[in-house]
Amino acid sequence: MIGGLFIYNHKGEVLISRVYRDDIGRNAVDAFRVNVIHARQQVRSPVTNIARTSFFHVKRSNIWLAAVTKQNVNAAMVFEFLYKMCDVMAAYFGKISEENIKNNFVLIYELLDEILDFGYPQNSETGALKTFITQQGIKGQHQTKEEQSQITSQVTGQIGWRREGIKYRRNELFLDVLESVNLLMSPQGQVLSAHVSGRVVMKSYLSGMPECKFGMNDKIVIDKQGKGGTTDDPGKSGKQSIAIDDCTFHQCVRLSKFDSERSISFIPPDGEYELMRYRTTKDIILPFRVIPLVREVGRTKLEVKVVIKSNFKPSLLAQKIEVRIPTPLNTSGVQVICMKGKAKYKASENAIVWKIKRMAGMKESQISAEIELLPTNDKKKWARPPISMNFEVPFAPSGLKVRYLKVFESKLNYSDHDVIKWVRYIGRSGIYETRC
Amino acid sequence: MPYFGSEEMVKELKRALSNPHVQSDRLRYKNYITKVIRYMTQGLDVSSLFMDMVKASATVDIVQKKLVYLYMCTYASDKPDLALLAINTLRKDCADPNPMVRGLALRNMCNFRMPGMTEYIEQPIVAALRDKASYVRRVAVLGCAKMHSLQPNTEIDGRIVNELYALLRDPDPVVVVNCLRALEEILKDEGGVVINKPIAHHLLNRMKELDSWAQSEVLNFLLRYHPRSDDELFDILSLLDSFLQSSHAHVVVSTLRLFLHLASAHRAVQADALLRTSAPLLATCSAVSRELRFAGLCHVQQVMRSQPGLFATHYKRFFCGYSEPSYIKFRKMEILVELVNDENVSLVLEELRSYCTDVSPELAQAAIAAIGRIARTYSEKCLDILTGLLALKQDHITSAVIQTFRDLVWFCPQSTAAVCQTVEAGVDRPQDSEGKQALLWLLGAHGDQMGSAPYVMEGYIDGLKTELSSTVKMELLTATVKMFLCRPAETQDMLGRLLHYCIEEESDVCVRDRALLYYRLLQRGAEETRRVVTGPKSDPSMSVLTGRQEEPISEWASTFNTLGPLAGRDSCPQTDAISAADQPSYSAGEELLPGSEDVTLSGPGDTEEEISLSLGAPLSHESFEKMWLDLEILHRQALGVSRPRTAPDTLQASLQLEKIQTLAFTPADTVPWKAYIYTRSTGTLILAELLQGATDESLVLSVKQQPVNQHAIRRFVSVLKSVLQTLNLE
Repeated sequence: MIGGLFIYNHKGEVLISRVYRDDIGRNAVDAFRVNVIHARQQVRSPVTNIARTSFFHVKRSNIWLAAVTKQNVNAAMVFEFLYKMCDVMAAYFGKISEENIKNNFVLIYELLDEILDFGYPQNSETGALKTFITQQGIKGQHQTKEEQSQITSQVTGQIGWRREGIKYRRNELFLDVLESVNLLMSPQGQVLSAHVSGRVVMKSYLSGMPECKFGMNDKIVIDKQGKGGTTDDPGKSGKQSIAIDDCTFHQCVRLSKFDSERSISFIPPDGEYELMRYRTTKDIILPFRVIPLVREVGRTKLEVKVVIKSNFKPSLLAQKIEVRIPTPLNTSGVQVICMKGKAKYKASENAIVWKIKRMAGMKESQISAEIELLPTNDKKKWARPPISMNFEVPFAPSGLKVRYLKVFESKLNYSDHDVIKWVRYIGRSGIYETRC
Repeated sequence: MPYFGSEEMVKELKRALSNPHVQSDRLRYKNYITKVIRYMTQGLDVSSLFMDMVKASATVDIVQKKLVYLYMCTYASDKPDLALLAINTLRKDCADPNPMVRGLALRNMCNFRMPGMTEYIEQPIVAALRDKASYVRRVAVLGCAKMHSLQPNTEIDGRIVNELYALLRDPDPVVVVNCLRALEEILKDEGGVVINKPIAHHLLNRMKELDSWAQSEVLNFLLRYHPRSDDELFDILSLLDSFLQSSHAHVVVSTLRLFLHLASAHRAVQADALLRTSAPLLATCSAVSRELRFAGLCHVQQVMRSQPGLFATHYKRFFCGYSEPSYIKFRKMEILVELVNDENVSLVLEELRSYCTDVSPELAQAAIAAIGRIARTYSEKCLDILTGLLALKQDHITSAVIQTFRDLVWFCPQSTAAVCQTVEAGVDRPQDSEGKQALLWLLGAHGDQMGSAPYVMEGYIDGLKTELSSTVKMELLTATVKMFLCRPAETQDMLGRLLHYCIEEESDVCVRDRALLYYRLLQRGAEETRRVVTGPKSDPSMSVLTGRQEEPISEWASTFNTLGPLAGRDSCPQTDAISAADQPSYSAGEELLPGSEDVTLSGPGDTEEEISLSLGAPLSHESFEKMWLDLEILHRQALGVSRPRTAPDTLQASLQLEKIQTLAFTPADTVPWKAYIYTRSTGTLILAELLQGATDESLVLSVKQQPVNQHAIRRFVSVLKSVLQTLNLE
């Protein structure tokens, strides 16, 4: 249980403070500021114990969110709760920044009031919360009878994530496969570790209480069907399937059905939600390969050459490519030559940032730089931080494909064919680093 | 923070809030109210506006209402008389047709923290428990808990408790969980909510409807339930099976804990559960959020205590990312060290070596220490790396390497020759005292194998005047004496100088005493000194050869999924302080931290364990008397000792030392002599009377207890007896 929630800006000024339980005194707000935000040394742990009170904190950009408790609680739960809190706030007013928090100050207090009561989480689904939170301007008096009864039915209904009686003129479904590919590569080009963590995010605008069924090229399913003796060429389907290491689902997915038949069926929440989250480590398509070459010429000069190769179908275009080549602290000047895109030395970030707007598959591009160094008597060798990369590609690096997404609604008169479905794949870089 | 001129601002607000023009303009009025809340958040005292804010609560605008309620909850305890004015409005709102207004009013009314509130809120709460809107019921259920916390010492209202137990069957899942939470708090002194078979099965069947937070909590409550038969046990386990794969890390970990607890007699089931949760745990370790990653790593470490091999194939997952915060890197390195085997050793070492040059010296030193740990099994490869690091000529690295050498030589004597060779070949002098001590220890203990050792040491003796740390000086003394014993010719002169300086000029008492000790020891002759000073040169227990023991799961299962695993070694003593004494509710099933052996608490099942007494909150005379009259005598015994002849104060103090509180006793020479005492133990309260009929007769003890726990009584009697006997001896 959570005794109190505080939000601070980067200077440690209190933006929001809400205490739920008596055992948290008014000085707790200051204790955290003094001992953690203003502490000299680095943050030692996301959990801090001060005077028999545990402070759990999460930092989003410049904002500190801290949950306080005197009980011996489940740490993972508190952290996940803080993240949920961030998500809810983000759903209401976008990015979590000092300005946004100050502007939506009343709303946040309203949210905190509904989400936690006496320190116990009550209701944290954005969709369901919308019924209780009166945005500014909407007055309680004007609430219709219908809405009132909705509150009752919505919270008593068996399905907590969807309310009854939703109607849309156009039934639409948006499905995004969002993946982030993480790589750590040695200077010799050996993959030290690589994994893809992906999310299937859906936006559904469907009437009634539809039942959905989702299918993908999961290896276990494909193999099962292959055994069933279909005419499909087994070699072909085997190649296209992917091995999912582990996956987790939104509350709405019937897990028992997944366990027995490996089929994903569910009654979707209304609006945007995350259907599933998964992770793969095998047969990952690495969209880019970075080949670094660093040569130290004497004590005052460095020569860096970096080649990037795109490794996907030539018809596809990667976007927002950014390569960040770290430079030593004592850099005095940099000359850069690149074939494509723009490259700039950013002294404040100690890095050369090379940006390319678009790049097709199976292409190659190169940058070379000469770095002048100031002579120092610091014997410390430069630690050579890894070269990192950011990009966005229009396919799923794990190889995941959506095979079908069917909608059944027995009570209302629309069928699977009437639903407009949109599917999109986006692969982004997570931590994509090559050591040099 | 705007403490400056704050009085002015408050006055201005007061003026504005009472201005009829402002009051008539809804938007402006609300803006001022928002301002008040903003100042309140910043820590400004705006309690003087209470009256105006109470007036503002009479509105139809829900947002404004919420703000005003928030204000009132904060300051109600400071202005109880004014807060009473608001109660009428609130009670009226409790009967509003809109369930949201009803819930809101009730919740805030329960949040007022002031004495005497109970009489106003009891009736609305009881009414709201039967409200048709579940939103209101949720609030009302928690309201019961709040009401109890307002007056913690009053008797528990059986009617409300029964009502809450009945509401466990409510169709709304949140109401169900809130009932559990409320009951747990209300019945804290009696050991919390009772989970019997029907309740446990009911909860298990409702699990799927709950949200993840509630699932996690219910899983924790279920730890209290003991299935009657193996069949029932396996039914429960298969019901919970799908939660091992939940998308929420905390649910996974809670489920795992329940599995480990329930299946404590079935090793295979436990192992299977661990195997199946390894994937989600690993996923948590690479979660997007750092904090979750950290929590995941800590739990992986716990699991590895029993199943070191479980994650061996995934060792690459524990390689550190460049941008990760250091607390994650430290944990990952600790895990990597545990995962090393013949196949991956070279890759892991390669990885660890790259951390040794990290910008943060602390991290670099931790990496070097990690290599040192691996060196106990794979010494050759590691020694190469460590020697290579010395060439970097960086102070913090050199110091850490030498410290690692020292530990290595101690734990695995076969590497001594190689280490001595490296140290002899030329090592930079470390600058920090830790490093100096390590180098001196090496020189002293293995000086016979290093030709240049006396000369290095001489350098330190010559620079003694500038040395600040007394521990280094002491180490230097010991090392020089040891060196003298094996190479007297070269060392005699410098030892003389060192002793002279330390005895004559040194200001630190410890160093002086140590020097005197050695001086006198040397006067007894070299053989005598050798016998005293030289000890074993390597770890006599040979812990390296026996290897790491696989701990049984029960060692850590009780603290799994609490704050325990997250508290690192360095923060342990601090968190130790949050001991069970503050949190009687947890003493029932959940221990706080590993490594706090001094706090003995009984596990849920095994009452045979040692039971400790505690003082707890003092009991008033009235409540003692009331309870004494209400309860039956459970135990009566002649103690076989007479009343101690000591002063009454001494008796009271010595009983208090043993955590027994004295409430009252008759003057020393009255007959019959009586004393009333009480103590607490694992959720029970023990009341006792000591009676002596005539002088020099044996004392008779009568014990009453609530709730009954025979083990606690036995413990209490034995403690009491031993105290009285000790006093009589004196």
